[in-house]
Amino acid sequence: MSGTRAVAVSLKIPDNAAYTALVALRRLGVSAERVERSEIWTFEEDGGAAESLEARVEADETIFNPNKHRLTLLDQAAPRAGEVWIRRRDATTGGPAAVAWRLFGARGEPAGREVLAAAVERLLCNPAIETAIYSA
Amino acid sequence: MTKRIGVPVFPGTNSEDETVRLLNDCGGDAELVHWSQAQRLAGYDAYVLSGGFAYEDRIRAGAIAAHDRMMDFVIEGAARGKLVLGICNGAQILLEAGLVPGTGGVRKPTAAFTRNAPEPHFVCRHVYMKLAMDPSRCAITRALEPGALVPAWAANAEGRLAADDAHLREIVAGEHLAFVYAAADGSVDDAAVPNGSALRCAGLVNRTGNVLAIMPHPERDGWNFNHLDRSAGTDVLEPSGGAVLFRSFVAAVSS
Repeated sequence: MSGTRAVAVSLKIPDNAAYTALVALRRLGVSAERVERSEIWTFEEDGGAAESLEARVEADETIFNPNKHRLTLLDQAAPRAGEVWIRRRDATTGGPAAVAWRLFGARGEPAGREVLAAAVERLLCNPAIETAIYSA
Repeated sequence: MTKRIGVPVFPGTNSEDETVRLLNDCGGDAELVHWSQAQRLAGYDAYVLSGGFAYEDRIRAGAIAAHDRMMDFVIEGAARGKLVLGICNGAQILLEAGLVPGTGGVRKPTAAFTRNAPEPHFVCRHVYMKLAMDPSRCAITRALEPGALVPAWAANAEGRLAADDAHLREIVAGEHLAFVYAAADGSVDDAAVPNGSALRCAGLVNRTGNVLAIMPHPERDGWNFNHLDRSAGTDVLEPSGGAVLFRSFVAAVSS
C-alpha cells in the first residue's frame, strides 16, 4: 500500500487528559458523554517496506509503549466520525501530526459536527497556534 | 488598610511558595488560595499566578486552568482594574484566558506561549528581561527604570510566543510587548532568546496595563542567596535581582 497512511495511538490505561477534557467540556456546555483522545502519526508509504506499518510503529518505542498504548491503523489519513484533529500550525517542532479528540453522545453515537465545533471553539483549539480538521 | 495579594494554586502549580515569600519580603501581603476555596479570591486586591503545570498542562498549557472557577474571579477582577501578574505557567494561563494581550476577548486567545523552537525541548537558563515599553504603560512596571533589566530564570518547554503575523503586528502596534530577552549588558539580539520566542518576547501586557504575563521566573533570582551576581550585599536573605519587579508590583498594589 502506498501514499499517506495514518495510525492513531491511544491509551489503553485510563486517559486522564481525555477525562479532564470531558469534565471541562461539560462545564462549558458541550454535550458529550465520552471523550477519546489519540495521537495521530502519519507516514508516507511507497509499498516497499517488508514489515507492515503496524509492526514498524509498534517497534518504535518513542511512539508506542505496548504496556499502555493501543494502535489503530486508520483507513484514511483523515478524522473518523465524531472526531476532530487538532494540528499545530508549526509542524517544524516534531511530535505527532495531530491530536485526535473523538466525542460520543449519550447512546454511544459519534458526536455531530455542531458539537465538535463547539468543543473546538470553547476548549480544544487555540486558533493562534492550532487548526482544527473535521471529518468530511 | 493593607492591600492583599492572592496567589491562586491550581492542581499542579509548583512555584507558589517562593512567589508568596518574595512578595512578602518585598513588603506585600500575599497568601495562597487553593482551588477548593476559589470564592476567597474575590476578597483580594491583586493576583499573582505562579509557575508550574496547572492541570498537568492537559490539552494545552494553561487551557484547563483558564476555565477554572478561580479564573472567573481573576478575570472579573482584571476587568475592574485589579493588578494581575502571571509568571511562566501563570502567563500561559493568562494568554489562554484571553486577558493578555487581550486582543480577542475573554477566553478567546489570540496568541500563546507554546512549544520552544527550534528544538522542542525544556530550557533552564538564566536570562535577562529588558523592559521594552515605557514603565508607565503598565502599572506593575511603573517603578522600574526605562529599559530596566530584570534577571530571571527561563524554565519552560513552552515559552515561545507564537501568533499569526496579523496578531504579532497587533501586539507591536498596541504596545503589548512588555519585556524582551536581552544580554547582561542590555543588548538585544537573538542569542539572548532561549526559546525562539517571536518578537524576542519575554512578557506581554494587556491594553489597559493592569495585566502582565512574563515567561521567565524573577522569583528564582530574587534573593542574594540565589542570584548569580552576589555583589548586591552580604545578607543572603536580602531580596535582590529579580525582586525589583516584585517591589514594583507591590508598590503598585499599595498605591
